[in-house]
Amino acid sequence: MTAEMLAFAGVAVVLLASSLGVVLTPNLFHAILYLAVALVSTGVVFLLLDAPFLFGVQLLLYAGGVVTIVVFAIMLTERLVGTSIRQTNRYLVNGALVSLAVFVGVVGFLVQAPPSAPRPAWPGDLTVAVGQALVGAYAVPLELLGVLLVIALLGALYFARSEG
Amino acid sequence: MTARVGAADLALIVLGLPFASFLLLALVRPLRRSAPAAAVVSIATMALAFVAAFLTLQGSVPRRPAVSPSTTWSWIPADGGPMASVGVMVDELSMWMLLLVTLVSLLVQVYSWAYLADEPRSSLGRYYAYHSLFAFSMLGLVLSPTFLQMFIFWELVGLCSYLLIGFWYDRPAAARAAVKAFWITKLGDLGFVAGIVMLWSVTGTFDFWTLFKMGSMGTLPVDALPPIMFLIYLGAVGKSAQFPLHVWLPDAMEGPTPVSALIHAATMVTAGVFLVTRAFPLFRFAPDVLTLMAWVGAFTALLAASMACVEADIKRVLAYSTISQLGYMMAAAGAGSPDAGFLHLLTHGVFKALLFLGAGIVIHVFHTNDMFRMGGLRGQPTVWLPFVVATLALTGVPPLPGFFTKEAILAGMLEVRRWGPFTLLAVTAFLTAFYMFRVVFLTFFGRSRHAGHAHHHVPGLMHAVCWALAALTLARGLQVAFFSGPHDGEGPGWLPAFSLTLAGAGILLAWAMYQRALVDPARVAAVLRPIDWMARRRYGLDALYAGLYRGILLGFARLIGWIDRYLVDGVLNVVSAWTLRAGDRLRRLQTGQPQDYVYGVAFGALLLFVLAHWRLR
Amino acid sequence: MPLGAYLTLAALVFAIGLFGVLTRRNAVGILLGIELMLNAVNINLVAFARFHADLAGILFTLFTISITVAEVAVGLAIVIVIFRVRRTVEADHLNMLRG
Repeated sequence: MTAEMLAFAGVAVVLLASSLGVVLTPNLFHAILYLAVALVSTGVVFLLLDAPFLFGVQLLLYAGGVVTIVVFAIMLTERLVGTSIRQTNRYLVNGALVSLAVFVGVVGFLVQAPPSAPRPAWPGDLTVAVGQALVGAYAVPLELLGVLLVIALLGALYFARSEG
Repeated sequence: MTARVGAADLALIVLGLPFASFLLLALVRPLRRSAPAAAVVSIATMALAFVAAFLTLQGSVPRRPAVSPSTTWSWIPADGGPMASVGVMVDELSMWMLLLVTLVSLLVQVYSWAYLADEPRSSLGRYYAYHSLFAFSMLGLVLSPTFLQMFIFWELVGLCSYLLIGFWYDRPAAARAAVKAFWITKLGDLGFVAGIVMLWSVTGTFDFWTLFKMGSMGTLPVDALPPIMFLIYLGAVGKSAQFPLHVWLPDAMEGPTPVSALIHAATMVTAGVFLVTRAFPLFRFAPDVLTLMAWVGAFTALLAASMACVEADIKRVLAYSTISQLGYMMAAAGAGSPDAGFLHLLTHGVFKALLFLGAGIVIHVFHTNDMFRMGGLRGQPTVWLPFVVATLALTGVPPLPGFFTKEAILAGMLEVRRWGPFTLLAVTAFLTAFYMFRVVFLTFFGRSRHAGHAHHHVPGLMHAVCWALAALTLARGLQVAFFSGPHDGEGPGWLPAFSLTLAGAGILLAWAMYQRALVDPARVAAVLRPIDWMARRRYGLDALYAGLYRGILLGFARLIGWIDRYLVDGVLNVVSAWTLRAGDRLRRLQTGQPQDYVYGVAFGALLLFVLAHWRLR
Repeated sequence: MPLGAYLTLAALVFAIGLFGVLTRRNAVGILLGIELMLNAVNINLVAFARFHADLAGILFTLFTISITVAEVAVGLAIVIVIFRVRRTVEADHLNMLRG
């Protein structure tokens, strides 16, 4: 058992547990918190995969931004602020079956794949490479991304305006 | 060149004139709506056609031309020469027919102008249009050089007959009669067309001249001919009202009387006899068919004569008389002397037309067809003299032509020793004299029996036409008696006396029964009760046909209708109903719940996984 | 750890996210499930990028994260508007697409 394997096992457990929490807990606020934990665990997985830059991005955008947004949205969509929001799930068995089927389907492909080679060496620093690519080969997608964000902003503003 | 130069052109003129008249009247509506204009167009063209027909007769055409008398143009192309051609065949047969058709058409059209004076103007235009079409069809029929062309015109003539019989189409009886005529003749036509096609398939041609040549050179497949000729004979059976397809002719009297005079006395019904005469060189190869023809013709003659003896409607008596005389003509052909039959056709055409037109006069006077309500016209010879002349001609009294032609037919029959048909024809001659003079005595002489007022003023035009026809009959008789050379069948010496005796006996009996009341008709009927009973009911043939029609044809039609409504439509309705129901059920998939759609996506993805697994294996 | 382990982990998270989407009643709950699914996809991308030494996977992940953020923003805005109109965000009641 190498350190890496231990780390992986631990992160995996946390990630899975928090994911289950997101989808199973009746309290919506708790679900958000579980989601935050899941997002951070995903970031750690990125770390394990030698992508520290992505770890940073994940924390900033997901754990920071998305969670905040969702919390606000929950607060705005409940009649009485402060009350614990209870909710139950519908058709648990059907959902479980379908999810299981999809999982089995995907794993089926994995099982048939040939055994993978060990990790090759990473050439150079990841962050630098990412930065260079963003303004080099991937400059156009970057710009388009900017446009998309502007549009999303405008859309959200439009929806959020008061009536009348 | 043995045919007269230009005879074909004249024939085409004769053919084209009535067709032009028909086109004009059919297409130019104002012309048709104005009855005088329509009549003028039709009568003028017919007069010109008659002149042209007369001119064709001026050239001399030998009886057995060495080259084809036909002028043809190819019509249906095929490898190795045209499959069918159209044209005209001008020989002695067709020239005489041209003359007969144009003459009688002209006279009938003139007569109609006076007879149908009460008709609404526009429908009279329609009448003349039909007359022109009929003239064109009949002339085309007699001028046809091929079986195929003759068949086409044959059908056209049938169509015109339907149109003219059903001229008063709002009368149910007339409409039914027209349909009946069409159906019954169609039965015969089925045989005709089958025969023609079979003939083509064994010989490869429709052309008369070619076929006759093949026959004389011995290249015809004679073994195949008898059934073919029998089928072709069936066409003649239908058109010329031989037993058992004679039932349409009495009912066809629903049409206007001039129409009956034209097409059911002189022209259309003679098409069958014409066919047999024209195709006689081929019939010679089928002696059994000829025997059948003789027997059927003689039997038809007797049957029709018996029915004429008990009929009260004057037009129907004349209709039966026509059937009877057609039987004579066919019997003559069957006995191997088609020329005698043809001669009888020509003369009969004239005096039968006269009989019908004369009947038209008395119908006009008495406003009824029932002979038992007529009488008392002795003092008006202008009315009865032409009719009596025609009656004498029909009965076979010299010097009128009927005597000579009937004698020729009987002689021909004796020549081939057909005693059976001869006897039938002899008895028919007796009955013919009887029933015709029965008509004469009841209609014209004796005390007047009609109730209500009689319309004694008869338009001069009708009289003029009748007198013209009477004069023609007499002239023809005199011509045959004194000027014609030897013709088919002189017969044994006792024949003229024999036939005269028969005629005289018939006239005497009629005189005794109806003029002098020496013999009571009712007593005679009682004596001959079974025959009388059957004759009055037309021997059940009409009922038989009606029953067959209703049972088989209408039953079959009902079956097909049921199949169409419940099976064909049913299938379509079921398919459409299922589609609607399926659509309704499928609609429920759209629940509006977004998660259900995600289920759909998930299922789709699973399906793709399965497919991919399959492929990768 | 072999590549397969990371991929299996991602598949599991994906399945759990799908379960959440299918079963949650609240609209926001459904969006949370979608978040999980997208996360799983990101893990897949980075794992492949690492094990094939291909930068493209990393960049793809970057873009995915950005777009997801935009999508969440707009999606929640829509949820808020629906709440304003219908006074509920329960998925069962939002069936205006019904055929």
